[in-house]
Amino acid sequence: MTRHLSVLLTAFGATTAAQWLNYPAPGVPRLADGKPNLSAGAPRGPDGKPELDGIWFIDETPLGAYGERPVALRSEIRPEEVILTPEGEALQQQLKNYSPVCLPANISGLAAAQPFKIFSNRGTVVILYEVQTIYRQIFVDGRPLPKDPNPAWLGYSVGKWDGDTFVVETAGFNDRAPVPGGRPHSDALRIIERFRRPDFGHLQIEYTIDDPKVYVKPWMIKQSLHLTPDTELLEYICNENEKDLKHMVGGR
Amino acid sequence: MIRHLIVISAALATIAAAQWVNYPAPGIPRLPDGKPNLSAPAPRTADGKPDLSGVWKAVRGGRYGLNVAADLKPEEIQPWARALARRQMEEHGDGVNCLPTGPQVGGIVTEYKFVQTPNLMIVLHEAGTGDAFRQVFLDGRELPKDPSPSWYGYSVGRWDGDVLVVDTVGFNDKTVLDAFRHPHTEALHITERLWRRDFGHIELQQRYEDPEAYARPWTITLNLELDPDNEILEYFCNENERDRAHRVPHQHVVVPAAILAGYAGTYQMGTGREITITLEDDQLMVEQDARGKLPLFAHSQTTFVLELAALGPNSIEFEFVPDDRGVAAKLIRRTQGGGNVTGLRKER
Repeated sequence: MTRHLSVLLTAFGATTAAQWLNYPAPGVPRLADGKPNLSAGAPRGPDGKPELDGIWFIDETPLGAYGERPVALRSEIRPEEVILTPEGEALQQQLKNYSPVCLPANISGLAAAQPFKIFSNRGTVVILYEVQTIYRQIFVDGRPLPKDPNPAWLGYSVGKWDGDTFVVETAGFNDRAPVPGGRPHSDALRIIERFRRPDFGHLQIEYTIDDPKVYVKPWMIKQSLHLTPDTELLEYICNENEKDLKHMVGGR
Repeated sequence: MIRHLIVISAALATIAAAQWVNYPAPGIPRLPDGKPNLSAPAPRTADGKPDLSGVWKAVRGGRYGLNVAADLKPEEIQPWARALARRQMEEHGDGVNCLPTGPQVGGIVTEYKFVQTPNLMIVLHEAGTGDAFRQVFLDGRELPKDPSPSWYGYSVGRWDGDVLVVDTVGFNDKTVLDAFRHPHTEALHITERLWRRDFGHIELQQRYEDPEAYARPWTITLNLELDPDNEILEYFCNENERDRAHRVPHQHVVVPAAILAGYAGTYQMGTGREITITLEDDQLMVEQDARGKLPLFAHSQTTFVLELAALGPNSIEFEFVPDDRGVAAKLIRRTQGGGNVTGLRKER
C-alpha cells in the first residue's frame, strides 16, 4: 500500500487560483470579439522558423490516431512496438519499488502532467514546467552533446531545425525516472523530440525512445497539445506540503 | 553529533563537474588570447536596451552576503522578528531543507542565469529547491492586486534608462531574507535595480520594504559577476536528501545576560588579528572579518559555536576563560581541523 502514496502525491499538490488570469498577452492574434485566434498561422521569428513560445497544455481527448492513449498517460503509444530486452525485463521488475518523492519525471513525461511554457532567446530554448517549478534548457547554438556527461534527471539537450520541425536530441540521463507508462530505461537512453506547431493554437510532440540496452527497437510517444493564452503558470513546490516521506518504506 | 548534520548537509549536496564547461559561448567579446573581455561594453538587445542575459554569480563575502539587514539598528527590527530569527537560528541553523529560498540572493543561491526577451525575463536558479525558476514580466502588466502568496512572489520589470527596475510582491511568509534568518511578512515588497555596467558586471541594488517587520525600508548593493563559457548545473535537492529524518533542534543552553556581558570585548589573537565580541539582544555576536557580526550559540556557560551552512560545513568554537569577577581575560578559538588560537582581552 505504502508504495502507492507517491502516486497520490501529485494529486495532493493542489494549486491556487492563477495570478494575471486573463491578462491579454501581447502578440496573440485575436478575433473580432477579442478572443485569441487559435487557428491563425504559427508565428515566425526573424529567421523564418516557427516560434514555439507559449503556454501549452496536453489535450484530454481519449483516443488519438496513432495508438492507444490511456487517460492517465495522455500520450499515444503502440504497446506492440515496446519490446523489452532481457535486461529491460529485469529493470521493469525493479521499477516496482520506485518512489519518486518530489523528484522529476523523465522529459518524455513532463509535458503530459501540467501546463508548461516554451520560451526562446538567441540560441537557447527554455521550457518552464509548472509541475515542480522545474526548467530545462535546450541549446540551439550548434554545440554538440557532451561526450561523457554526468548522468542527470533531465539529461542534456541540443536542438536544431529540420524545415519547420524543431528536433531536439537528449542524452546523459540517469537511470532513475521511468519513461511514460512506468517503463524502465538505462543510462544509454537517447530521446529525439520533434516539435511541430501547425497553427497558432496547436503543438505536436513526437518522442523517439531509443535505449538498445532496454528495448529491442526504438519506439514512439505522440502528444497533441493546445495553447492556453492569456494565463500564467502557477508555482508548484512539491515539498511544500509533503507529509508522505516519513510513511514511505523501501525503494529509495 | 547529530546536531552537525544540518550544517554538513549543505556540503553533501555536492555539485558534479559541469558539462559544457568552457564551451565558448557565441556573442562574447574576447581578448587576443581568447579569454572573455569582461570590461567590454554591455551588450544590447535589438530595441537598444541592455541585455542582462548570461550566467551570473553573486560576489560572496561582502557586508550583506550573510546579513542583508546589516545596516539596520536592532531597534529598527520589530521585536517579534528579532525573536523569530534568533529562535530559527537556534533550532535549525541555516541549512538545507529542500524548500525554496525565496527572495534570498546572497547566501545559498549563488549562481543564476538570466534569459531576457523584450516581454519577459526569466531567472533560472542552480540551487535552492531544485532547478526552480522565476519569471519577471516586462510587458507592462501591473503587479497583481491581491496575489496568492507564493515562494518566489510576482515580479514585473520596467526600464529606467539603462537600469532594469524589478518590483516583486506576493511572497508567502515561509522564507527568510538571509543566513541570519531575518524573517519577512506577506507585505514584503522588494525593488531590485539591475545595472549591467559592462560586459562582465551587474550592480544589483535591492530595496526591502516590509513595514510589518522592519521600521523603515532599506537598500543594499550587491555585485554580480558574469560566469562566461559556463552553464548552470542540474540540482535536485531531494535527490540525496537524508537529513530531514535526523533534524533535531540545536542544544539550547540559556546563559544569563550578566555572564554574557563579561565576555563582550575585543581580543588580540595570537595570529595578529582582532576578534570583537558584542552582546545584542542577549545574544553574543562575533566579528572577525569583513563579513561583520555573526551570531554565536551557547553550548555551555563558557563555550559558544559559530555554525552557518553558508560559511561552509565546519563550525568554529569560541571558549571564554573568565576571571573571578566573571570577565573573560582570554578567548580560545578552535576550528574543527584542530587549529587552536588563544587571544587576550585588550585593555579598554
